[in-house]
Amino acid sequence: MSKSLIIAHLFPELLNLYADKGNIQTLTQRLRWRGYSVEVRPVKATQSPELESYHLVLLGGGSDREQALVATELYKQRSEWRAAASSGLPILAVCGGYQLLGDFYQLPGGDKVQGLSILDMTTVPGEGRLIGNIAVESELCGSIVGFENHGGRTHHNHAPLGSVVSGYGNNGQDRQEGVHHWNIIGTYIHGPLLPKNPQLADFVLRSALTYADLPADLEPLDDRMELAAHQHEWARHTSKVQKTL
Amino acid sequence: MFALWIAKLLILLLRLRGKSATSLPGKVAMRLSPKLLARLCNSLERVVIVTGTNGKTTTVRLLAAMMREETPIITNAEGANLTQGILSALLAASNWRGRLASKTALFEVDEATLPNIASCMPVKLLVVTNVFRDQLDRYGEIDNTIDKIIAGAAFVRGTVLVNADDPLARHIGLRFAGASKTFGFSPEGASMTGFDGVRDGAFCLQCGAALEYDGYFYGQLGLYRCPQCDFSRPHPDFVGHYSQGLLQFHEVGTPDTSYRVPVRGLYNVDNLLAAVAAARVFGISSEAIRSGIDHFKSPIGRMQTFSTSPQSILNLIKNPAGCDSVLTAICADPAEKVVCVGINDQAADGRDVSWLWDANFEQLAEFGRVHRFVVSGDRALDMAVRFKYAGVPTASVDVVPDLEAALDAALSAAQSADGLSVYVLTTYTLIHKAAALLAERRVADVEIAYHRASVS
Repeated sequence: MSKSLIIAHLFPELLNLYADKGNIQTLTQRLRWRGYSVEVRPVKATQSPELESYHLVLLGGGSDREQALVATELYKQRSEWRAAASSGLPILAVCGGYQLLGDFYQLPGGDKVQGLSILDMTTVPGEGRLIGNIAVESELCGSIVGFENHGGRTHHNHAPLGSVVSGYGNNGQDRQEGVHHWNIIGTYIHGPLLPKNPQLADFVLRSALTYADLPADLEPLDDRMELAAHQHEWARHTSKVQKTL
Repeated sequence: MFALWIAKLLILLLRLRGKSATSLPGKVAMRLSPKLLARLCNSLERVVIVTGTNGKTTTVRLLAAMMREETPIITNAEGANLTQGILSALLAASNWRGRLASKTALFEVDEATLPNIASCMPVKLLVVTNVFRDQLDRYGEIDNTIDKIIAGAAFVRGTVLVNADDPLARHIGLRFAGASKTFGFSPEGASMTGFDGVRDGAFCLQCGAALEYDGYFYGQLGLYRCPQCDFSRPHPDFVGHYSQGLLQFHEVGTPDTSYRVPVRGLYNVDNLLAAVAAARVFGISSEAIRSGIDHFKSPIGRMQTFSTSPQSILNLIKNPAGCDSVLTAICADPAEKVVCVGINDQAADGRDVSWLWDANFEQLAEFGRVHRFVVSGDRALDMAVRFKYAGVPTASVDVVPDLEAALDAALSAAQSADGLSVYVLTTYTLIHKAAALLAERRVADVEIAYHRASVS
């Protein structure tokens, strides 16, 4: 295969609070094991993103201070971002990166940080942080396990990534977690997200490969280790019998 | 006097109930009498303080063993390096009238606490092991840490001894108005390869330019120089060279000496070098240093060696920076080995295990010469997946959640492969259990192979 899948890792020097390396490692290894060639492009805050050349964009989380810096940078290109997202650019946004896709997120002090307004979504502060293991049932990929740690409460008018079986999710109230709209997946789950959720990783890869015009029929991999880890965590945090994977 | 009595009473009560009194009495006494620390310090004559990001505990343990050969000392318990911990140590060493059992003290002090502590005692020697950027202080907070150490150093009435190989520690030495001395490795020990991305952030603190290196020891430690100003690694006053289990020690104007290295890992050899250099500044003879080393016991889980069959080496891992140092040391052991990693996610371990993905397990897969991996603990499977994505074939990894069974599996895999060493790495809530289990499996008549080349 001559053409590489290009993954943009946005602002690694700022948005690196929650082990995004695990998500990147999972995506790249699962492509390489299947013979694809893949290139990860770190995009620093001082560079402007070249959205037209990416097949998948990763947006991670940072502290409030760093996130506000990122928001200012992204806001300058908000119309390009909206155009790319609505035409199907796959985006995987975690924690702070997820919040940035909405209209705004409000800081605990009351200030509002403008988001990209790609999604009809807002985030406001709440009493205490929502921290702990989380288990979610998702129509996209069966089930998802991970860890969440966020102060913001997010509400949106799109389909969620899944429904919360154990944990808090978007806002601790409506039992929904994350968002899935166009080819965007937003979530509060890190831990990191993808290593223990190989079906979700492959779902993301399929939409990136399709967007890149590369063959997207992924060969199955031997995921026994990943699924054992997935099921172990699922069993620890839910009493519910898991749907078949 | 009242605060002293209450605190002494508290120490007594805690000990009667079998609890350690390393912090709480000091905390209570500080509340009751903020001046108690300064009052107790009045009768101290000489104080040595060790500060820095990594290596404080091991350096203090080594130096304490050397100093005790010549004089009784007061010292704080492992890790109790904030004001209350130091006050607790002084309280424990004082009688009911506030008289201290010794006039000499050696303390491990947290960097941010240093100004407060150094201002109320006669510090004759301050040792700065290193200043590492870690996860939290990547964005400027490191400057804060350095400022605190510089502010603390201003109270020193004697010598500041810094690591010449660390540009950040060197900067602190240069900013000290009094006598400063340096220790460092000999240049032939440096290499041009490394896996540590952390050092990419090493900038000249005098002018801001990115530092250039002629060789690295570990992390940002190496043969650095600034391309823009005259800041560069000095020729150290005390030079150490590690070779075959011995630290060759060179001090200007005195005959060369060598010391047995009772610890593993290049960063621990650095801690030994710091301790020997500090002992020399303090005027301790090489005989006393040597016998201090013989009486040294390594703190729990810091390359702690057990004479199991075959031998095992226990390490605590709790964050990416510390874990990477341990992994680098394991990679530096040229022999084949078995690695057993135990990960729990209880409150004391940290509930969130995502840091495993920030630690550089890839270097172990690539350069570690690991014969077999065993993973254990509540998060054994997370660790198995981590190894898989680091490039370890799944067939080389055994998942054994029960720690005792995991240790036995690792020891027997090592035994049947010609007696390889077993490196055991665990998070906090598994470390004491692992230490106890390995101690039970000691073989009395096997001598610990300290001399085994563990660093290159």
